[in-house]
Amino acid sequence: MPITLPDLKDWTFSVDFEGIAWAIIDRQGESMNSLGRSAIEELGEIVEALEQAQAGEVKGLVLMSGKDSGFIAGADIREFKGFDTEETVKEVVKQTIELFDRIEALPMPVVVAIHGYCLGGGLELALACDWRIADREEGTRLGFPEVKLGIFPGLNGTVRAIRVAGPMDAMTAMLTGRMLRPGAARAMGLVDQLVPTRHNLRWAARKAVLQKRRSKGAPWWKKLMAKQPVRGMLAKQMRAKTAEKVREDHYPAPFRLIDLFELHGDDLAAMKRAETEMFAPLMASETSRNLRRVFGLSEMLKDAAPKNGFRPRKVHVIGAGTMGADIAAWCVVSGMQASLQDLDQGQIEKGIHRAKKLFKKRLRGKTAFDSGVARLIADPGGKQIKHADVIIEAIIEKLDVKQKLFADLETKAKPGAVLATNTSSLKLEDIAKPLKDPGRLVGLHFFNPVAQLPLVEVVHGEGTREEEVGKACRFVTAINKLPLVVKSCSGFLVNRVLAPYMMEAVRLYQDGQPREKIDQAALKFGMPMGPMELMDMVGLDICNKVGEELNLAPKTDGASDNVLASLVNQGKLGKKTGEGFYVWEDGKPKRDAEATFDDAELARLGRELVQPLLDETARAEADGIVKDADHVDAGVIFGTGFAPFRGGPLHYRKSQDANAAGKAAA
Amino acid sequence: MTQMPMRRVAVLGGTRIPFCRSHTAYAELSNLDMLTAALCGLADRFGLAGAHIDEVVGGAVITHAKDWNLAREAVIGSSLARTTPGITMMQACGTSLQAALGLAAKIATGQIESGIAMGSDTTSDAPIVFQKKFAKRLVKASRAKSLGQRVGAFKGMAPGELAPLPPDTREPRTGLGMGEHCELMAKEWGISRQDQDILAFESHCKAAAAYDEGFMDDLVVPNAGLFRDNNIREDASLEKLAELKPVFDKSGGTITAGNSTPLTDGAATVLLASEKWAKSKEIPIQAYLTLGRTSAVDYVEGEGLLMAPTVAVSELLDQAGLALQEFDYYEIHEAFAAQVLATLKAWESEAYCRDRLGRNAPLGTIDQAKMNVKGSSIAFGHPFAATGARILSVLAKLLHSGCGQRGLISVCTAGGMGVAAILEGVEAQGTGGSEAKEMGAA
Repeated sequence: MPITLPDLKDWTFSVDFEGIAWAIIDRQGESMNSLGRSAIEELGEIVEALEQAQAGEVKGLVLMSGKDSGFIAGADIREFKGFDTEETVKEVVKQTIELFDRIEALPMPVVVAIHGYCLGGGLELALACDWRIADREEGTRLGFPEVKLGIFPGLNGTVRAIRVAGPMDAMTAMLTGRMLRPGAARAMGLVDQLVPTRHNLRWAARKAVLQKRRSKGAPWWKKLMAKQPVRGMLAKQMRAKTAEKVREDHYPAPFRLIDLFELHGDDLAAMKRAETEMFAPLMASETSRNLRRVFGLSEMLKDAAPKNGFRPRKVHVIGAGTMGADIAAWCVVSGMQASLQDLDQGQIEKGIHRAKKLFKKRLRGKTAFDSGVARLIADPGGKQIKHADVIIEAIIEKLDVKQKLFADLETKAKPGAVLATNTSSLKLEDIAKPLKDPGRLVGLHFFNPVAQLPLVEVVHGEGTREEEVGKACRFVTAINKLPLVVKSCSGFLVNRVLAPYMMEAVRLYQDGQPREKIDQAALKFGMPMGPMELMDMVGLDICNKVGEELNLAPKTDGASDNVLASLVNQGKLGKKTGEGFYVWEDGKPKRDAEATFDDAELARLGRELVQPLLDETARAEADGIVKDADHVDAGVIFGTGFAPFRGGPLHYRKSQDANAAGKAAA
Repeated sequence: MTQMPMRRVAVLGGTRIPFCRSHTAYAELSNLDMLTAALCGLADRFGLAGAHIDEVVGGAVITHAKDWNLAREAVIGSSLARTTPGITMMQACGTSLQAALGLAAKIATGQIESGIAMGSDTTSDAPIVFQKKFAKRLVKASRAKSLGQRVGAFKGMAPGELAPLPPDTREPRTGLGMGEHCELMAKEWGISRQDQDILAFESHCKAAAAYDEGFMDDLVVPNAGLFRDNNIREDASLEKLAELKPVFDKSGGTITAGNSTPLTDGAATVLLASEKWAKSKEIPIQAYLTLGRTSAVDYVEGEGLLMAPTVAVSELLDQAGLALQEFDYYEIHEAFAAQVLATLKAWESEAYCRDRLGRNAPLGTIDQAKMNVKGSSIAFGHPFAATGARILSVLAKLLHSGCGQRGLISVCTAGGMGVAAILEGVEAQGTGGSEAKEMGAA
């Protein structure tokens, strides 16, 4: 009797005339495969059928994907919602772990053929197979992104990765969460064989089955690294390296993974058991839940962009100041053509010079760099305006100048091109007034430094058409940033909530708190950078102006200026002048190395520092300047770096309130 | 067998990737990569992802032995249906134009409904092979049955045999490069350095203007991070061109790097179809390919190597019953400025037209304002096999824009051959009615 499994929904299964079984994952109703409950259960049925097959009936099993988007992008994060106790986590992973063990124990060779994404749980499944083949196509990536979600591989991927790649490579891949290109994955040993295109996969897999190929695992010299005393030294080094990136009190997952390795690195059976024990508390922790929430928020922001239709390729930026030039450079890095217009040829040249530094880092190899340079066009005469799909204005904040510019642009831009202003202080509606079609103008508010900050506020003026907002969002996702649609209002969302936080820092400083302490308190809370350093980077003149405009500048008792205004008056504007709150040398602030502070006091001060931000966030939500509370949280996290492991300011407030209520009740 | 009535052959438009000077942006790419990218661009433009095309025909001049099935491989790698056959063929620089003529004949006679002509070339990824003597040893060794035989295959081998042979674009029978041949033509026809430089200068200006006005927007799809050809010099000047030293004849020559085409990497495609097919896909017809002709000259006995287009055009005009002046556009491929100018001079020469072309009157002068109006190969670059498809796309779009109704193409190729073709606008054909010439490819 031939084996048939006609009722599968997420997989198709067939055995061909040569006796090779093909299991193709193609999850129903999904654009990308994930390892959800139903996909796992159906895979269980397939494995069961093969376990019961007569000897010799099936020569081997091949796992592949039926989707162009890739193999398996990981576990189905939507299903993580119920994982709030260690027991449920353990129970759920146990079933999958057993299934993977059964795949490993199948008598026939099991080959996986990978195109596109093979991440997280998908890679753990691949590692349970006997032979892994990947194609070298552009979009193929393998990796363990788990640490970014506050966990580590929990389906025995830690054990199997170390088995095939050795401890150094495997741990590095799991600790960094890096997406590996096929070549790198092959070099590490995560993949056994590479083929040039996805069309070769089927045939390479067939051959591997017929030849009964089995991965040999890491070579002896790699395995040596798992023995003591080398392992202890490695673990120590990994801890130090990880601590440079994240704090253990905020992000425990990588540190637990290192513990796991240090304890059991040379006894894979013991490691297998211990993995679940250490994984479950992480998975059930608030940190991981919050990080999963943040991941969901980033996906939510991306969803604002329509998937089809508008395809921006050419961008024209007017105003070659820092912001304008950096926007153009970033567009080029993202593969677009960008033209840069300014009345001052020198500004354009400066911008291009800075762009080349960015290209050196981001566009590897001479040809990529040269093409990047060719894609950034100095265009003092605005010849590219009529070709541009997106036109961004980043000139001086003067209403009449901007109005004149857009009235002129409207006549020159091609139909369908997005017209956008990067203004942060003028009203979009005012700028749009002289346009024949004022509904066309949107705001695109970028943050400095453009290359580092993931958020762009897409400003929806009163008259702006939905379609134009959608196109602007599409552009933002096309340059690999996250779009947050905000109503046209003073400070939009990000600056509005940042300003009171920074002014609170100024107030604390004025009241005698050391600047180092304020900054450390912010880091302790989980901010990516202290506010004093941040203000120095932004420029104290700008901070002072914003503070005054929003009427937030700290009050002083008498006639004297507040400390911020007086620094500005002394010409101490921060990093750009070499001194602000700190003295800056070689692009770094000089800190008092002696200054150490009590941990509990830092935690207290951190909360005090952040309180005005939280309050303002709540007001912003009440004012409805973005769609809903989740969008507020998303905007503040990606726009200010607000402690991701806390899940966002509103979420944090709510959980604080709940905690307080819980304590009161107890 | 039933004979179908002749049908008109529609040119629906072409798409290419930007052309690059060799060893620049495409240094890492192969012909297959570039052809695939150009095909994907074409499929994208005309919504042909997953669509079956009856025949895709084309090839490359400088090609690896492993690319023996280049056209079919490119089809498989593209977004077209994998049931689309790909036929690899080559006629040097005339490759993709010749491919179009072949497809047109099949469309006209009802054998196929749709076809894509294409070509690609790279001198960045040129095949380097062993000398014949060493290659023979390798073949012998691979066929050997014993170790002794295998070792024996290398008996008496000299170290010099190991020196690889780079690809050679010189004419095998004359030992002269294309440039050296053209230098001879320039001398024979008295083509001045200044006239060549002016032609080159104008080519760059016209090509730059074509990009500026957006004419190239739908003809070129970005590839490998590049949005436009990297050979066009917007800042070209006659002074700078005049400063360049002759390349092929250092003492008395006139041909420089500035007034000839650079070595170029790139690929181009053009979509042809029956009117029925175009209608079913709702793709507007840009022009009709009405006639084509390939001719050759006897350069072995001393004729100018690149003079064959003079013959091909003359014969084509006879077939069409048209005078050389009855065209709105002339697309004369600029292998070298001197080649174009020598061709024009030959058509004006009473003696040449009488003695070589067998005409009792010269073909005459053409209005140079109608020639290569969007620039040509000196500016865009010339990836040999891709040029025909590039020119077809440009001319079809020109005719579609409605400023003219008839265009003439001529391309010179290695081996003393020339390919010529006539494109007609939709209006000329539409009003021409039954009188319209049916297709008859040479």
